[in-house]
Amino acid sequence: MSTKAPSESRPIAPTPQWLQALLLLAPAGVWLALLLVIPTLLIFELSLVPNIKPGDLVNPSGLGNYWRIFQSDVLNVIGRSLLFATGTTLLCLLMGFPVAYWIALLSPKRWRNLLLLAFVLPLWTSSLLRSYAWISILRPTGVLNTLLTSLGLPTLDLLNRSPAVFIGMTYSLLPYMVLILYASLEKLDRRFLEAAADLGATPPQAFWKVTVPQTLPGIAAGSLLVFITGLGDFINPELLGGTSSMTAARLIYNQFLGATQNWGFGSALSMVLILAVSLAIALLIKYGDKNASSL
Amino acid sequence: MTSMADLTRLHLSRSRRRFLQTSIAGLSGIALSSCGWTLAKVQTDQVRQGASDELHVYTWSNYVDQELIDAFRSQTGIKVISDVFDSNETMLATFQAGKARTYSIIYPSDYKVSQMVKLGYLSELDHSRLDGLQNILPRFQKSVHDSGNRFSVPVSWGTTGLIYNSEKLTEPPTDWNYLWTHKDKLTRRLTLMDDVREVIGAVLRSLGYSYNSTDPQQIKQAYEKLQELKPAITTFTTDAWRDQLLAGDLSIAMGYSADAVNVINQNPKLKYVIPTSGTSLWSDTMVIPKTAPNPDAAYAWLSFMLQPEVAARVTERLFFATPNEAAFNQLPDTLKNNVTLFPPQNLLDKAETVAPLDKSILELYEKYWTKLTSS
Amino acid sequence: MQAPSKSPLRISWQALFSVLMFGFMYLPILVLGFYSFNQSPNSAQWGGFTLSWYVKFFNDSRILSALSDSLTVAFCAVGISAIIGTLMAVGLARYRFPGKQLYQGASYLPLIIPDIAIAVSTLVFLAVIAVPLSLWTIVAAHTVFCLSYVAFVVSTRLVNLNPHLEEAAQDLGATPYQSLVRVLLPELMPAIVSGCLLAFVLSMDDFLIASFTAGGGATTLPMEIFSRIRTSVKPDINALSVVLMVASGAVALIAETIRYRSEKKRLQ
Repeated sequence: MSTKAPSESRPIAPTPQWLQALLLLAPAGVWLALLLVIPTLLIFELSLVPNIKPGDLVNPSGLGNYWRIFQSDVLNVIGRSLLFATGTTLLCLLMGFPVAYWIALLSPKRWRNLLLLAFVLPLWTSSLLRSYAWISILRPTGVLNTLLTSLGLPTLDLLNRSPAVFIGMTYSLLPYMVLILYASLEKLDRRFLEAAADLGATPPQAFWKVTVPQTLPGIAAGSLLVFITGLGDFINPELLGGTSSMTAARLIYNQFLGATQNWGFGSALSMVLILAVSLAIALLIKYGDKNASSL
Repeated sequence: MTSMADLTRLHLSRSRRRFLQTSIAGLSGIALSSCGWTLAKVQTDQVRQGASDELHVYTWSNYVDQELIDAFRSQTGIKVISDVFDSNETMLATFQAGKARTYSIIYPSDYKVSQMVKLGYLSELDHSRLDGLQNILPRFQKSVHDSGNRFSVPVSWGTTGLIYNSEKLTEPPTDWNYLWTHKDKLTRRLTLMDDVREVIGAVLRSLGYSYNSTDPQQIKQAYEKLQELKPAITTFTTDAWRDQLLAGDLSIAMGYSADAVNVINQNPKLKYVIPTSGTSLWSDTMVIPKTAPNPDAAYAWLSFMLQPEVAARVTERLFFATPNEAAFNQLPDTLKNNVTLFPPQNLLDKAETVAPLDKSILELYEKYWTKLTSS
Repeated sequence: MQAPSKSPLRISWQALFSVLMFGFMYLPILVLGFYSFNQSPNSAQWGGFTLSWYVKFFNDSRILSALSDSLTVAFCAVGISAIIGTLMAVGLARYRFPGKQLYQGASYLPLIIPDIAIAVSTLVFLAVIAVPLSLWTIVAAHTVFCLSYVAFVVSTRLVNLNPHLEEAAQDLGATPYQSLVRVLLPELMPAIVSGCLLAFVLSMDDFLIASFTAGGGATTLPMEIFSRIRTSVKPDINALSVVLMVASGAVALIAETIRYRSEKKRLQ
């Protein structure tokens, strides 16, 4: 008979428990350590070697790569990544909230899951192919412009410029925003809304004073997810952008598989990206703690 | 989704982890640095033997097609799998980043060969295993980059120029400067190649300097001139302009002569022009890296491509000029006289070959290229 | 925004907007479908119905081998991570030990670090230990984020689970192994399945990590598609898109049906 344990979280107990824990946690732990933690440490070390090229000896010697990030062209690229990510997050919020609201609160109850699934279904197909589809749509001779010309309207020059990148990124990330907002809105207690209406609040007032505060954690989580994913996006700026669309991900890519081949600088940029993302999450947690009671 | 408790734990774990991470990094940094590990050293002494009936080829777009693969297979029984790159720099970068052990045949341009030889990546060719080398035109046999064909076998050559839609451009271009003088008409209907040496070289040439200028002032001038043109450029692309030009999305593109003949064949309204101020005369070669998993198949491929019939058929189908004299003689007259494929000597005299440059100068080129593409 | 409408005829602006958004989501898919049946595949005008692009697609050995490589990687990575990810989630939920915060932080890392950073660090690591790149290096790299996703989904379900089930089983004489497999696992199965589906989709869709860790002739589907878009697109790519969409739609519907049925069963 095994010993009776009083609670869920057991302290380190005699050998059988210890062995159990090891068997459960060791395989994944080893995998993560080898292929995630150690590589991250390696690129941290690599980032401390300025001007390294393949074949060179690695000797951490300084922060030269990090100082390089403050040069105007690199700051330009980082700024652009932030712009794309922020803009996409706002667009996804504006476009996703009504959809999530409708599915969660206003649509017939039986259809809710199906509607949500239908909205999210395009996520299941390759994101590359969907971005390629946008190329076909936004080209000077593509679907959109052919339609506009047939209606006698002037053509839109969208592809290979920032507007196309925003469209592509918003398209890729909107389902995620809707999913997270839906989860939050589903838990909304409608009695609050009814009470607000009874107390004389207009619909906009009820929205801003009841709905939004209640769903703030969902808004924050959704925005964070979209922002982080958008920050590291490679495909959309690459396929839909033009000569002024280089983002951080592409700049890092160029340091390893492109002409520049400066692995040290690429590593430094990667570390900065990781730091930026960690900062965003830390901010969420700090802000989220304030609202912990609303969950 | 995530509970606040989870995220709080995450936050705490992060601050502790950060501390641990930096300390471990510091320690490991010290430890590893004392070991002095070399970054991405291509291990030319450890060769992994690959499947004997498979040959991996790393080449330019449109150099290897299904018919060629099938012909090779029926002759030797070896299956060819080809991967594509769009610039020599990309090819070298992926080679050094770990793909070295994959390919038995690579197609670098002539000027890249000398760099790869210096880096010790290429194996010296055993001429006794290759028959047909004598058919190669003398000027390619004595190329300044690899005299005597010790490491490389030339497979194609050509020029870089402008391909334009003569229906859309009533005034045809004659030189690189056309792009600047007609910027308004061409805006958003123009692409340049995604190749630092070709683009900066072309602009240097349009300013009257050499394609391989080592003068920082001249390179800076070229960069500034490119910045002027940048708002009008749709994208930098070496291959994708072909579909776009055919579809009508573009009026003019910078491209290789081989690709030009290809698209002109599909739409006779398109024309190719070699800029009068001069252009680059390139030559692509086949090499066997030291890390090749299947050198025997590689030699079979080289011998196969040197066969005059094969080279002639390839030129007829894929439209890159062959340096193989015996193959040239087998071509139909329409191709022999095609000025785009085989330009006359007076035009060739004005062309320059891209030359390998010193590391520090190359870095200058890279720096300006990065500034151009990231601004 | 108003409270739920009681009159069936009043259509809220949210509903109209949502219809518009649904259209937005499906527009690219419809366009690809249109092109896949269009005789002239590069023009936006209808040139006639044809199935030739589908025939071309099924004869395109490069695409088919890329598809098979992608599927191999996805199945292997998800298979491995289903097991070790679930074990990890169970272990983390049950035990306290020194360094647990560290471990847990590491397990969340793949969910938040951008793909490019993971790709770069894996490449550097493989270069340092001089492991030649191949299909299996892609599998190894994909397993990292797959197991994080599986563990994440399973752990959210574990939190909602009755903590005393396993105890009860052990009190009745089951060994720890039996209680894990016979009691806990069936309860976790829906979460494991949905975690695996999520991980599968992400693995099939990954471009950056595969680009950096592929070697030895292995090419995944996203790598092949990207290379084609950058050089020259053959029309059979539209046929490929439609085939993939239909396949993933079918899988999604089956997954949803299973989930729906198991929910009903659970609530009975």
